[in-house]
Amino acid sequence: MCSGITAFNIKGIRTALLWAVFCIIIAFSFREAHLDIRTLADGLPYAAALLRDMFPPNFYALEKILLLAAETIAMGLWATIIGIAFSIPLGLISAKNTSPNVFVYTGGKLLVNGMRAIPDLVCALIFVTSFGMGPVAGILGLLIPAIGTLAKFYAEAIESIDTGPVEAVRAAGSHGLSIIRHAVLPQVFPLFMGYNLYMLDHNIRAAMTLGLVGAGGLGFELFRQMRSFHYHKASAILVIVFLIITVIDRLSSYLRNGITDGTFLNSRGRLKDWSLLSVFCLITGLSIFLVPVSLREIVAGIPRIRDFLSGMFPPDFSPIFTDMKLMLETVGMGISGTFIAMLIAVPLGMLSAKSITRSPFIYNITKEITNFFRAMPELMFALIFVAAVGLGPFAGVLALALHTAGFLGKFYAEAIENVDPKPVEATEATGASFLQIIRHAIFPQVSPLFHSYNLYILDRNIRASTLMGIVGAGGIGFELVMSMKLFDYRHTATLMIIILTTVMLVDWASSYLRNKVVA
Amino acid sequence: MLCVEGINKRFNGRQVLSNLNLRVGSGETVALIGSSGSGKTTLIRTINGFVVPDSGRVAIQGKDIDYRNREALRQTRKRIGMVYQLFNLVERASALDNVMSGALGRMDRGIHLLVSTVGFFQKEDRDKAMDVLRFVGIEDKANERVDRLSGGQKQRVAIARALMQEPELLLADEPVANLDPKTGRKILELFLKINVGKGITVITVLHHIEAVRDHFRRVAAIKDGTVCFDGKVDELTGDHIDYIYKSDRNLECAAA
Repeated sequence: MCSGITAFNIKGIRTALLWAVFCIIIAFSFREAHLDIRTLADGLPYAAALLRDMFPPNFYALEKILLLAAETIAMGLWATIIGIAFSIPLGLISAKNTSPNVFVYTGGKLLVNGMRAIPDLVCALIFVTSFGMGPVAGILGLLIPAIGTLAKFYAEAIESIDTGPVEAVRAAGSHGLSIIRHAVLPQVFPLFMGYNLYMLDHNIRAAMTLGLVGAGGLGFELFRQMRSFHYHKASAILVIVFLIITVIDRLSSYLRNGITDGTFLNSRGRLKDWSLLSVFCLITGLSIFLVPVSLREIVAGIPRIRDFLSGMFPPDFSPIFTDMKLMLETVGMGISGTFIAMLIAVPLGMLSAKSITRSPFIYNITKEITNFFRAMPELMFALIFVAAVGLGPFAGVLALALHTAGFLGKFYAEAIENVDPKPVEATEATGASFLQIIRHAIFPQVSPLFHSYNLYILDRNIRASTLMGIVGAGGIGFELVMSMKLFDYRHTATLMIIILTTVMLVDWASSYLRNKVVA
Repeated sequence: MLCVEGINKRFNGRQVLSNLNLRVGSGETVALIGSSGSGKTTLIRTINGFVVPDSGRVAIQGKDIDYRNREALRQTRKRIGMVYQLFNLVERASALDNVMSGALGRMDRGIHLLVSTVGFFQKEDRDKAMDVLRFVGIEDKANERVDRLSGGQKQRVAIARALMQEPELLLADEPVANLDPKTGRKILELFLKINVGKGITVITVLHHIEAVRDHFRRVAAIKDGTVCFDGKVDELTGDHIDYIYKSDRNLECAAA
């Protein structure tokens, strides 16, 4: 009894302290990101005028837009296909159980984490300076982070395999490579295919925004129309972007579900697999046709990359304090954006969860709103908000908040739909009311998942907020673009060091905390 | 206390309950037996309003359950405790938190509703939850997370949650089917202690005939959705048991 009371008090004090820390961090972030309700209020008339200008969308040169859209999709495909080819060996050497030795393993792991930490637009920006404007720079820009991400996924999949078959094949006296081919690959193949599809989905999304730094695709045209205030033309491009991303998203989740429930890639579904493979080949052929990547072009760019890299040394640390302050603003943007996203996502998630929203009308409407937020790339939101509320971090925070509210709303709804119904019924049987059931039977089940999703989105948003500056929506990104445009590569190096260190630190902290809350 | 009159229920074209009648007086303990699929669980779920009968009526303390009025249904549920085979606890929450959710039905007005929805309980409810946990014999586990408890301890927490409601009627659906025989016996003894000590009527579905003989006076058998035996345990003969479980076994054979 006594111990019970002290345990309760210690728990209470800890909870109060955590809440205090949480509030301080949020308040600090709001201040760093210059969040001000008055800015929002002042911006509202501009936003309304902007929306008026955007309607009706003017599909001025549909052929040209569609061709650019195809180019964008092709960029995503290219980056994914080349990424897969590089990631398989890199994944194998950075997985503990298939790596030849500990030095290769550590080296592989470092390389993977480093590549994963570079934001794709920063990468594209670097390649634009060496290869010039165009889709090749975009593909290479997507490629580096794609290899890092895929190789990390692959390595994790390989590390979690069942060791039984591996030992059996080894016991039969097989060679190391044939062990990988006959005991490892069959186990991880469906997982790999799922990751590949995820990566493809992600790359096509990302390709839509690459044009903002001049790396080809639809984004460039959108940026041009926004800058010249042709908002009704810009909105036509936005509609196309939204449609493409929605179709790709649905298609990729349909295929992923088919892989997980065994409809695709099982021994009996050979015909389906072959038809999928041929469609895949056809699309690959088309993308080669649409975006001809010539090796000569790449080879010609290599010396310029070397010039760029050597131009970065030694890094110029003189503006480091201003840069760090900017990074602080960037982190503040990420935190504020995530917090506002959470506030929007809680009602969205609850209303789009089938198990607690009985009206199919409300359920479907909220689900579509959530999908819309998710499908619009945050940089496009940022472009719109910059036009509405002006340059600065405020626009960036709003863009991050809306885009990731779509993600969180979807995650929350899925978590709510997947709760164990048994305690829910038991609580209902005690005569508890609807809200009480949500609080006492559903919330305790979903809260660790919610925390984990929030941390994941926080990590992602801090990474994304480093790019907001590219469209003038605050943070360190603007300084990065400027330093490159002014050929001040030594300053670029300092900024890159700060960004990469922060991103890696946040990544590490977020996965550490995620492991702590999921239990 | 409980009066079930001529209830019928069809699920997907299968008659699960057919013209079922059952009367239980205040303070009685009744064991429900019958083979799987005979309709025991559906009967229990009809009594606490999770299954709406196609026809017939169920009355508690002389008052008919109004299945269409959600608020009235909730008021009825407040008075009926329910214990499940798989405990149906929130595994991540502490035993004490689970038990206190039994008080939610009472906190259904104004500030109480608001406070309980935010997640707070009054001190007297907390004290009461400790009392109930003491009554079922696990007050030392009050702050333990439920997923760290054994099966028997979990069922005690679930019973404590039902007692927290201060129910007039306690329903249980195979409460010992997931426990070892020794623990199961202790849980059944706890039901009798609740019945004698608190005067709560107990109706429980049980599978183990020996356990029924040892702990209950009245037994009601359900076969094909209707009561086919209702009387003292002593009157239940081997022939009765053969009959209760027989034809369904043939049915299972036919299905296989």
